[in-house]
Amino acid sequence: MDNSAINVLVIDDESDFRQLMSFWLKSKNYSVSSAPDGASGVNMLKEGQFDIVFLDLNMPEMNGVETLKKIREFNKEIPVIIISAYVDRLKISEVKPYQISGVFYKGEEFDKGLALLESTLRTHKKLKK
Amino acid sequence: MEPVTVVYVITAVVSIVTALVLVNLARLSAQARVRADEERMKNLASAPASEEVPATDIDKTIFKEISSVVDSAKDWEKISKKISHIISSELDKKVGAQTSHIKQQYETLLEEKAKNEQMAWGKYEKVLSEKKETEAVIHSIAEGLVVVDKNGNVIMLNQAAEKLLGSGKKDKIGRPIFEGLKEEQLVSMVKSSSDKDNKEIELISQHNDTKKIIRASSAIIEDENGQTVGMVSVLSDITKQKELDALKANFVANVSHELRTPLVGIEKSVTLILSKAAGVLTENQEQLLSIAQRNLKRLTLLINDLLDLSKLEAGKMDIRRQPSSISKVIDESMENLYTWANTKGIKLEKHVQNSLPEVNVDPNRITQVLTNLIGNSIKFTPKDGTISIGACLNNNALEVTVQDTGIGIPREAIGKIFDKFYQVGERTPSDISGTGIGLSVSKEIVEQHGGRIWAESQHNAGAKFIFTIPL
Repeated sequence: MDNSAINVLVIDDESDFRQLMSFWLKSKNYSVSSAPDGASGVNMLKEGQFDIVFLDLNMPEMNGVETLKKIREFNKEIPVIIISAYVDRLKISEVKPYQISGVFYKGEEFDKGLALLESTLRTHKKLKK
Repeated sequence: MEPVTVVYVITAVVSIVTALVLVNLARLSAQARVRADEERMKNLASAPASEEVPATDIDKTIFKEISSVVDSAKDWEKISKKISHIISSELDKKVGAQTSHIKQQYETLLEEKAKNEQMAWGKYEKVLSEKKETEAVIHSIAEGLVVVDKNGNVIMLNQAAEKLLGSGKKDKIGRPIFEGLKEEQLVSMVKSSSDKDNKEIELISQHNDTKKIIRASSAIIEDENGQTVGMVSVLSDITKQKELDALKANFVANVSHELRTPLVGIEKSVTLILSKAAGVLTENQEQLLSIAQRNLKRLTLLINDLLDLSKLEAGKMDIRRQPSSISKVIDESMENLYTWANTKGIKLEKHVQNSLPEVNVDPNRITQVLTNLIGNSIKFTPKDGTISIGACLNNNALEVTVQDTGIGIPREAIGKIFDKFYQVGERTPSDISGTGIGLSVSKEIVEQHGGRIWAESQHNAGAKFIFTIPL
């Protein structure tokens, strides 16, 4: 399937996981860009054209919650999938009011992440129509 | 007068006088017995002197009696004198003997009294020194000790207790234990827990916001009739222990993140290579990477179980109860394990009583328990065996059983299988299912639901695991 028209932004401070995510998404033919922190992620979103964001919840300085708040200040529509190393219900409940499309736990199989990504894109496409 | 007559007269008079004297003596000895103290004894000792007056009366009586029967004044005077002499010497003898007897008795009595006094004093001194010893022991105990009466008022407290409660003995004796705490303010009785005799009390100083946590272990004091007369409490400062617990919990949470992160990185990389997203693999490369992947999964399981256990033990595990159907929970657990059971040729059966009510449990956690139990059974059941999973109501509780046709549990192991890292028998390196703490985790989860878990087994006749959840 050709997903190269779909631009994905991965925001995660952890470089290894960021690279793995990028590699995996690229192997599924998506166009991928990545940002190592919340602030640069927000800037990239402001400047470029993206279809979906993978956002890490736990980051130093500007964490996932704050980053999402900033994103929603100028972009209310872009689907955001939260990435989290572990089930942190409290933090997740904090991001829920800012419209998230789902949570992908780092320990889960990539296939689960892929299913979530595809269903989110489909839903979003329908909404746009 | 005939000499015979004189003898008769004398005999008669002597008899009368003797009778009188004996009556008198009886009276005297009765008095002597009753009077034990020295003062009275002196009076008694001087009795013969005072008897001289009655003796004079006796003389007169003798004189009078004899004069009435004897004609010759000379004779009766002689007789009278003789009789008087006999009587007085007899009297002296008798009184003397009686006096010495009474004196002896009195002395014995005095001796006994002194002995008793000495004994009582000795006992008193012993009790006193024992009391001092006990007090010294109580005072030197590092733990605070407080004794209260049945109304909750303090009867006794030692120095450590004074220090812990921040107030002196004077302020406490006769008052309720937590009344008028000077430095600290009683914040809460944190935990009564299931153990009724243990209470944790949190005290916060008003001056510097420092917190002190005190554990009070109490025991009721009963008298011989079983009536409550008071309570003795041992107070220990567990602030440090609590701080350490909090540190440990924090450490566990941090380690959880730090351990999982690199593991996820490795596991994801291997998975991606194995998915051939990074290019074609040779057969050998694929085989070696599969080994790496299997062991990574095992390590991940072990770490997850360990973290779960630490969280459960620290009471930090989030148990999210919701009305759940046990039948569905069993289905889900069985689904997770069908493939594994199939590869071993083991049949999984479900026997659930009809129309069971929903139970208020965390379905994910109960699934975890069942997955552990069924997984355990698969591990120890040989090919063509059967594992049946059942649920029914018993004594107002839901009872869930997992029974297998496996090798069973040796008798000596049955009490230990819920211990951490306890493994029955050998484990093969390729077996990724066992971490040795699955049953400990299951036990903690069941207990956090207020239930109980145990195993029954006869060697070589299969094992049966049962857990209950109160309705």
